[in-house]
Amino acid sequence: MHELAIVEALIEQVGTELDRAEQKGAVKRLEIAVGRLSGVHCDSLRFAFNLLSPGTIAEGAELSIREPSAISRCRQCGTSTEITEMVIDCPLCGSPEIAIEKGRELLLESIDIED
Amino acid sequence: MKLIAAKSILKANDQLAVENRQRFDAAGVFCVNMVGSPGCGKTTLLEALFSHLRGSLRLAVIEGDIAGSIDAERMEALGVPVVQINTEGACHLDANMTASAVAQLDLTDVDLLIIENVGNLVCTAGFDLGEHLRIVVLGATEGDDKAVKYPAIFQGSNALVISKTDMLPYTNFSIPRITADMKRLAPDAPVFQVAALKREGTPKLAEWIAEEKTKR
Ligand SMILES: Nc1nc2c(ncn2[C@@H]2O[C@H](COP(=O)(O)OP(=O)(O)OP(=O)(O)O)[C@@H](O)[C@H]2O)c(=O)[nH]1
Ligand SMILES: [Mg+2]
Ligand SMILES: [Zn+2]
Repeated sequence: MHELAIVEALIEQVGTELDRAEQKGAVKRLEIAVGRLSGVHCDSLRFAFNLLSPGTIAEGAELSIREPSAISRCRQCGTSTEITEMVIDCPLCGSPEIAIEKGRELLLESIDIED
Repeated sequence: MKLIAAKSILKANDQLAVENRQRFDAAGVFCVNMVGSPGCGKTTLLEALFSHLRGSLRLAVIEGDIAGSIDAERMEALGVPVVQINTEGACHLDANMTASAVAQLDLTDVDLLIIENVGNLVCTAGFDLGEHLRIVVLGATEGDDKAVKYPAIFQGSNALVISKTDMLPYTNFSIPRITADMKRLAPDAPVFQVAALKREGTPKLAEWIAEEKTKR
């Protein structure tokens, strides 16, 4: 359900960006970033995109998804490590005193338009 | 050609949320978005908060549900101004739905607006409604591993409320574990323990909300 709402917002956002740049060419490719902790499922997102894009400005476009990792920052040893899932302890020194940052990104990064 | 956008996919929502927040600020309304899974005790907690705050703050409520108006009726029975949003299948509220609900409230009569979001630990995470605080409620019967399994909702919340603590003796729920996980995801967020049916721990939470209001 949720992924449908996100794809709707994505297509709307693509339209806004094209209008702003006064571009009318067909959209060939969309690059988006979906953080690993965002709770958004990439397969469902692709499925929703295939379902919703026909008849819109994004019809036929390739959807390229980057999945940025979250960062675990250790309060003991200061190390920052990329993590792909929730970890309990610092991967380096084992301290449980870590802060987890980022990983919730949901970004439209770029749009490739036919010249 | 390549157009660099580098913007949130939910930018349209985020912009509307900013407008909602401006409306609240202009009217002196403090807004709380309450999230949590179905049945975690959000409405019961609202009832308790109302009983504690009624003497000092004028409360209004927006109830987000997929269908029906059971929760809205519960608040109405207490005499709280309430607007029901039926999302008709959508698993979360968004800033646009919030704006339409807010339009039905007279904000000059409101000090504190609490939005009870649709019961869901996943989908509510990405949508800013324009609130000042987001509070995530987790029942003591739901398991202490939920922050690890649903990090997004915990990471973006300003407080964690562990509800139904009267049930703790019947579960293996570990308060230290969930507190430690929350600290990793949201270092500044306080953790409250409440048993809303018995009004235990709820006065402290009410006090904290009132105090946060004075900071804006
Ligand atoms: N034991 C116990 N049960 C509680 C407590 N608070 C709520 N409950 C029960 O949990 C059930 C669900 O409570 P609600 O307040 O309706 O939960 P909710 O989160 O609003 O539910 P939805 O809006 O449907 O997602 C009810 O049967 C409540 O009586 C509590 O402090 N202790
Ligand atoms: Mg409810
Ligand atoms: Zn470390």
